[in-house]
Amino acid sequence: MRQTVRYVVKRVTISVLMMVAASVLIFAVLRALPGDPVLARLAGSQGVDQNSIQRLRAEAGLDRPLISQYFSWVTGILHGNLGVSYFSHQPVSTLLAQRIGPTLELTILAVVLSVILALPAAVAAAERPGRWIDRLVTSFAAAGMSFPPFVAGILLILVFSVSLRWLPARGYTPFTSDPVQNLREMVLPAIALAVGAAPLVFRYLKGELITAFDSQYVRTAEGKGASRYQVIVRHALRNAALPSLTMIGLIVGYTLGGSVIVEYAFGISGLGSLSVESAFRRDYAVLQSVVLLVSAMFIVVTLAVDILTSVLDPRTRVHQHG
Amino acid sequence: MAELPIRATLATSRRRTWRTRSRPVSIIVFGLIVAACLLAPVIDRHSPITPDPANAFAPASAQHWLGTDELGRDMLARLLYGGRLSLSVAGGAVVIALVLGTAWGLLAASTRGLADQLLMRTADVAMAIPQILFGLVCVAAFGASLPSLIIIAGLLLSPTSARMARAVVIQEMTLDYYAAAVACGTGRVRLMATEVLPNVAPALGSQAVINAASAIILEASLSFVGLGVQPPQMSWGGLLQQGYAFLFNDPSYAIGPAVFILLTVLCLNLAADRLGGASLLGPGRAR
Repeated sequence: MRQTVRYVVKRVTISVLMMVAASVLIFAVLRALPGDPVLARLAGSQGVDQNSIQRLRAEAGLDRPLISQYFSWVTGILHGNLGVSYFSHQPVSTLLAQRIGPTLELTILAVVLSVILALPAAVAAAERPGRWIDRLVTSFAAAGMSFPPFVAGILLILVFSVSLRWLPARGYTPFTSDPVQNLREMVLPAIALAVGAAPLVFRYLKGELITAFDSQYVRTAEGKGASRYQVIVRHALRNAALPSLTMIGLIVGYTLGGSVIVEYAFGISGLGSLSVESAFRRDYAVLQSVVLLVSAMFIVVTLAVDILTSVLDPRTRVHQHG
Repeated sequence: MAELPIRATLATSRRRTWRTRSRPVSIIVFGLIVAACLLAPVIDRHSPITPDPANAFAPASAQHWLGTDELGRDMLARLLYGGRLSLSVAGGAVVIALVLGTAWGLLAASTRGLADQLLMRTADVAMAIPQILFGLVCVAAFGASLPSLIIIAGLLLSPTSARMARAVVIQEMTLDYYAAAVACGTGRVRLMATEVLPNVAPALGSQAVINAASAIILEASLSFVGLGVQPPQMSWGGLLQQGYAFLFNDPSYAIGPAVFILLTVLCLNLAADRLGGASLLGPGRAR
């Protein structure tokens, strides 16, 4: 027990340090060049006098030293105050709160869909490795992995929205106001992400399953006359699932990254499209916080998966961070 | 190694034959794509940027093999010239990631201790930020010109390469020949340059091929949202963005760039997968 607590404390500390380091990195890159977001925003408009430029810069806090800008951002995060958007003048925390829902929904749907697709495929392939079914599914996986999610998304729109007219090409309706419309809109983007994510799960799960099928306990289970179904579900899958949990952290990362462009392509107003918009407008106040938030989500999921794995399987603690 | 799972070994050996047989296909197709882009002016005499409004959205014909776009510009010419840009971003990024990543990993592997920790934790942090988001941050900061895109993509790919380089170099350093050479008094730098680096070259090469695929995707993603190279310059991602705007008017528009991106990434992934079995390339490392 004490060992578990020590492990959890260590992993949490590392994750917090990672987030702090990520915030420094994001901030440093955005401020590395003397380029000024206020000037960039005013570039189109003419006849702006020096005074109003000074006033806008002061409003955005850009006239203060970099270190002080960084610390006011970080202390603001701890107080839930992320500053205001240079562009819309809305509080950044409000923007993030408005946009996080669709991204969470899309990520969860895509991860669930990937597991649903990968699980039977991995079982079928691992049962008879090298046979035609394994080769077929493995080739599909190799092809799927090469689909950037947004390219898959555009091809899906072409088939299901443009040609067949079954599903809407873009838009987002909150689940709470119209569940059916919400799902109709989320199907294609979720598939677009799963096309690339499912093969990752498949590859890993298949490897684990092949090991399980070759193990003594599966041979014992077969020997005592357990049915094929029981051997697969009760023995092989249960043992293969635990190591594959690590995989979930990885595909959440893949999905969060992929959803940036997928949200843009499907007109879903989530964190991804917010990051694209703010990068376009050089709205650093929004951009730095969105990117940090998404990175933090990824770090937290990885942390949760690691802790869960170690609690469920104490053996993994020995191998961690050698 | 005491008890080899029989089913798995059979499968891998079968897969290996299949792999070696299909390796050339991916490389040949990729070579054809590169050649077509380089020979663009020979293959298609149309200019990719001269508009011809009278011919807008023309279907495929003997004159325009893949039809024309919204301004009557030849689609095939635009795809091939766009490919030049996409491929040069990928090529430049691969070189940067190879040099920077190898130096980074080599430095970490040969120093160990605090410097190693520092270098590798930096890589971890950079990898905790989803690549495309870090890309958006860099483009917002450094702009979207061709050189800055190449540098951004190269920098983003470096941490993964560094981690891989460190792992293979450390593995190499555990081998007897390394200890023997150190015992004979061979200088570390010379040993790294003349023995270790050539031995890990296949692993680095296969990582470089994976990086090329990632760079193609990264450039396409940024250009697709309008944060890549700006018109009149064109790339596959940029053409996909234009095709996306006309999805309902001219569905075939988006298919061209989508197919080029997919085919290139697929070929590179397959080629990297084959190269991954380092025994194929590395003399003396055959298992």
